[in-house]
Amino acid sequence: MNILGIDTSAKTLNLAVVNDDEMVVDYRINTVERTHSALILPLLNSMLNLNGIKLKQIEGIAVSIGPGSFTGLRIGLSTAKGLSFALSIPIVGINTLESYAFRWMDLPGKLCPLIKARRGEYYFAVFNKKHNSLHIIKGYQCADWNKIKDELLRYDNKVFIFGCGLEDILKEEKVEKSKNIENIHFITSNKNIANAANIALIGEKKILENTYDDIYTLSPFYIKRPAAEIKKEKDDSKDI
Amino acid sequence: MKETNIMGIETSCDETAVSIVRNGKHLLSNIIASQIEIHQRYGGVVPEIASRKHMELIMVICQEALEKAELSLDDIDGIAVVPGPGLKGSLLVGLSFGKAIAFASGKPLIGVNHIEGHIFVNFLNNEEILFPFISLVVSGGHTSLILVQSIEQLEVIGKTRDDAAGEVLDKIAKYLGLGYPGGPIIEKMAKTGKDDAINFPRPLLNSNGFDFSFSGLKTAVINYIINSKAAQQEVNINDLCASFQRAIIDTVKHKTLTAANKYNISRIVLGGGVVANEQLRKELTEDAGKSNISVYCPPKELCTDNAAMIAVAGFYKLKAGITNSFDLDVFTE
Repeated sequence: MNILGIDTSAKTLNLAVVNDDEMVVDYRINTVERTHSALILPLLNSMLNLNGIKLKQIEGIAVSIGPGSFTGLRIGLSTAKGLSFALSIPIVGINTLESYAFRWMDLPGKLCPLIKARRGEYYFAVFNKKHNSLHIIKGYQCADWNKIKDELLRYDNKVFIFGCGLEDILKEEKVEKSKNIENIHFITSNKNIANAANIALIGEKKILENTYDDIYTLSPFYIKRPAAEIKKEKDDSKDI
Repeated sequence: MKETNIMGIETSCDETAVSIVRNGKHLLSNIIASQIEIHQRYGGVVPEIASRKHMELIMVICQEALEKAELSLDDIDGIAVVPGPGLKGSLLVGLSFGKAIAFASGKPLIGVNHIEGHIFVNFLNNEEILFPFISLVVSGGHTSLILVQSIEQLEVIGKTRDDAAGEVLDKIAKYLGLGYPGGPIIEKMAKTGKDDAINFPRPLLNSNGFDFSFSGLKTAVINYIINSKAAQQEVNINDLCASFQRAIIDTVKHKTLTAANKYNISRIVLGGGVVANEQLRKELTEDAGKSNISVYCPPKELCTDNAAMIAVAGFYKLKAGITNSFDLDVFTE
């Protein structure tokens, strides 16, 4: 089944089509001058045209729902909803951290995908693998590197860490590529930067299992609440 | 004649709205989910909260608009979206959603400037108003005078240099602890107040151009309250609201009529949330009438943000052959 994958959660705009568990096409733009909003549909159009895929042949949409850039997530999900609605095909939201972990399933140990958030923090989760599937054992959370490190050092066996924003941590820790801090192994690879094909591969499985999402209620997985809301709650509790 | 159904989508601020209009005349549906109650707690619109709410609601509101119109997407002939001006995060939800629908269904995409919507919504009830005309758009985000020569020739001849009139109404209402949005609240209190009780400034009233400035007025009102308190004089809120509202009405009325006279134009078209103010509508219509100038204003419910205005403007743009490509992006100002 042809599934379109959309990932606008980070700087790289990434679209892909997969079919029967195989990647068919994967297009990406590292947006500098223009925004995801301006480029997403022209990129989709070129990708389909150049590869002889008709829009009507797309049978499902899988979209990265976060965590990630709030605005980016909304561009991706709004676009995905519009496409899904107009084409009358299923939509499925895929957790971005889960899709990163999915990419590194073969590594021998626990998996810790990571996505850079604001103010020196990272979204993260820790996964175990059982029978070729992922089981979350910590997360989804947002924390600074020291807290994440403490968490990972607690585990006895190897933890592989990868994702967006790893460079900052490597700099901070002064570790070289492919080095480790005790049981924490850093995976730096450009495979980290875009993920639409994985999103679509996970999405295809879910759609085949009929576990896709409700187009009306599907929302981004922000993890963090709006700053104004948190501040307001604090201010209100002071008044009491 | 074939009927043309346009779907308008509007999410530029704190209203998630979808509307379907037939032939630019018949309002088949006009669904608006207002977030006012949420933002009231903050005394103004919080962009991130507004964006999240739009994302939650957009599909539901779209479906509701189709159901109310008793149509399916197949019956829609064009998708009108708003690239701006407005809040970036909010705009992006409606724009991305609308663009994707148009792309996937092969329907024309029509980008409608939010201000064009406020102007051309007047065509819904007044057939086609003859060009050229002067348009006054006053809302929480805009205070502009626009010379409209045709559906595609709009020239801003004056705008606010600082706060919009509606913004100042909101800020004063917030300062007085009266609530949000400020316009309707201040209008209500002004009804029982004396509008000549306090002489507030009318900034740029007699300047040569058509620009507005309201932040000085805002400061004057706040200073008045502070000074009265310091002198232990009681402030009559109704008088204050009436005098404050009077200063705003005098300013926009004077500028608009001066513009019509200067350009020798006999039609004035109003739009925007502040235009729902009855006193403003009444006085402008009366005063313009004395110089044989006709004033058109939308029904009150179409003054504040809505998607019907986007669908109507979209219809006339499509009719004039104006459509957009899918790289249409947001702009904030």
